[in-house]
Amino acid sequence: MRVDKCGRDIEPMSKIAGNSTYSLQSRLLLAFSALLFFFLGLTGIILDRAFRNSVEAGAVERLQVQIYLLLSTVEEDDGEFYFLEDLQEPRFSQLNSGLYGFISSPAYGVLWRSDSARTFVMPDPEFFANRLAVGDTRFRRLDSVGAEVYFALSYGILWEDGIREYSFSVVENAAPYYSEIANFRTSLWSWLGGVAVLLLLIQLALLRWGLLPLHRLAVDLKKIEAGQRDKLEGSYPKELEGVTDNLNLLIESERKQQSRYRTTLADLAHSLKTPLAVIGGLLPRSAPDSGAGSTLPDKVQLQAVNEQLDRMNQIVSYQLQRAMRSEKASTLSRQVNASRTLRRILDALQKVYADKSIALDYQVDPKALFFGDERDLMEVLGNVLDNAFKYGRSAIWVSLQKTGSDGRGLRITVEDDGAGIEEDKQNFVLQRGARADTLVQGQGIGLAVVTDIVGSYAGEIRVEDSQLGGARILIEFNSNLTTGSNE
Amino acid sequence: MRLLVVEDESLLRQQLEQGLGREGYVVDGAEDGKSGLYYATEYEYDAAIIDLGLPEIDGIALIRQIRADGRQMPILILTARGDWQDKVAGLDAGADDYVVKPFQLEEILARLNALLRRAAGFAKPKLEFGPLALDISAKRLTVNEQAVDLTAYEYKMLEYLMLHPGQVISKSELTEHLYAQDYDRDSNVLEVFVRRLRQKLDPDQTLRPIETVRGQGYRFNLNVT
Repeated sequence: MRVDKCGRDIEPMSKIAGNSTYSLQSRLLLAFSALLFFFLGLTGIILDRAFRNSVEAGAVERLQVQIYLLLSTVEEDDGEFYFLEDLQEPRFSQLNSGLYGFISSPAYGVLWRSDSARTFVMPDPEFFANRLAVGDTRFRRLDSVGAEVYFALSYGILWEDGIREYSFSVVENAAPYYSEIANFRTSLWSWLGGVAVLLLLIQLALLRWGLLPLHRLAVDLKKIEAGQRDKLEGSYPKELEGVTDNLNLLIESERKQQSRYRTTLADLAHSLKTPLAVIGGLLPRSAPDSGAGSTLPDKVQLQAVNEQLDRMNQIVSYQLQRAMRSEKASTLSRQVNASRTLRRILDALQKVYADKSIALDYQVDPKALFFGDERDLMEVLGNVLDNAFKYGRSAIWVSLQKTGSDGRGLRITVEDDGAGIEEDKQNFVLQRGARADTLVQGQGIGLAVVTDIVGSYAGEIRVEDSQLGGARILIEFNSNLTTGSNE
Repeated sequence: MRLLVVEDESLLRQQLEQGLGREGYVVDGAEDGKSGLYYATEYEYDAAIIDLGLPEIDGIALIRQIRADGRQMPILILTARGDWQDKVAGLDAGADDYVVKPFQLEEILARLNALLRRAAGFAKPKLEFGPLALDISAKRLTVNEQAVDLTAYEYKMLEYLMLHPGQVISKSELTEHLYAQDYDRDSNVLEVFVRRLRQKLDPDQTLRPIETVRGQGYRFNLNVT
């Protein structure tokens, strides 16, 4: 985890973007699915109830017709009922056919029952006992002990003599009706289920399409974080334009701030170092050995002033170089082609050290990348290679390789055939933040600055003996870190 | 040798002008990029020292414009910041070497000597022509390994001729590179110097190193060894 200049934790941008329990897509999908299931369930229940009511209404109508049939053909003689002709409905004549006819009166109970009902036991014996007003109908759903369900309809009539009242009842086994309802129910829920799945798929597709700009935004932000892009480009929906415009402004302002910081430091460097150069120019490097005005105290003082001047110069140079690079706590790194930067540095150094006729041999992966600020890479390569050119006698070997499974790491090796660095000083020159006034003479501030930069990228630097005879500097930038951290 | 120094800090510029003048260079100073560009494109210089942080036109732009104008003299850049971005940008723009501020005059002189020598095509610090050897770092001439005393102007003239061997150098060119602008240019003085040089270099008149090309100027005739 990185920290900003105030010590606060800085989360990577991608983590901030995806830092919630549920993604937007999951939230919308979950809410819409719940709503869909609620409404489809309610629709199913309403349709089921309506169909059932319609089936029962149909049953009542059919039973009513049966009652009218009975009424149209029945005759009564001295309390006995008989039919003038055969009943049109054969199920009345067939034992246990499932359709049963009854004529009853409240006072005498059942007066007639159809042949089909000879062995039929009425589930509710009280059904015939209740008086029914003339012209009224009564519908009942009767549950028997044997789990059979019956529909029963009674119709109250006044006989021809205008005195006697009877109830004509028809009882029918309801199993066929319920079978029909069950079939309908199966069909209904299958269809509703199918519709639900189809709607969910459509909803998923719509969500993905609708959230596509957000996905694109997240990908673009990741690319900026990885240094593959400078800003958010392309067109976004107008709802996101405000966000993307502000993000671009933020990125731009951070870069401008970095640039301003560097310019200020450059001005500071200029305004400190130029007077130092003037003072240095005014003072002779050593007092003449003889002369009228030259005394021993003069020489000692001059030497002390020169030493202090050199020390000031080293401290100013070292601290300014540290400050110039420690401003880069930016999460917005860039992707730098390391081989191109190396080429520029080598071209510059070959120009400067043209006299030395150094044989330069190198092995460079042209696709090797550095994830960070190009200035940092230039400082690292410039200082290390400058030392190699300065101290090397005739040969330098440079290697630049990408490392790590994702190829985002970088290994830099620089070897020369100079005098090398003594073993007891190898660790000292690599101490991070070594104070300028304790630096090894001759190493300048170059390696100390390189060590600082490499350390801030959580990289590693080692000094070894080269097979060429001089120093071998090995620098590794890890693949999992893309930006430097603040000191 | 005529040098151009472009530096906005007047004290530093004066120090450079005086220090380099003491070493026998003819120095023109410019205080900003604009006047630096004027001098660099209007006059012939053997080398230029240019500060990167200049008003009007910055150092890198100035170097680019000087190179775009076809001027090939070596350029030494002075940089206060000392970071590699600046150094590489300066060298990319066409400079040949850099010195980080603050610096010692000795460092500037050493770099200048090397640049002048390289520009003339010499890899070693000593220019050797048969028995004649000129060490431009030590400003010392030997003939048959015997040191020969030269006055400052004799040395300057010989150095210029030896850095341009085989080329006809006109009297006006010699005057420009040996004297400051306000100097009273009398070509007779040059003839006196040449005569003295011939006597010191070749008293027996067997080598004849400096040839007079009638109506054109002088030519250093020995081959590099």
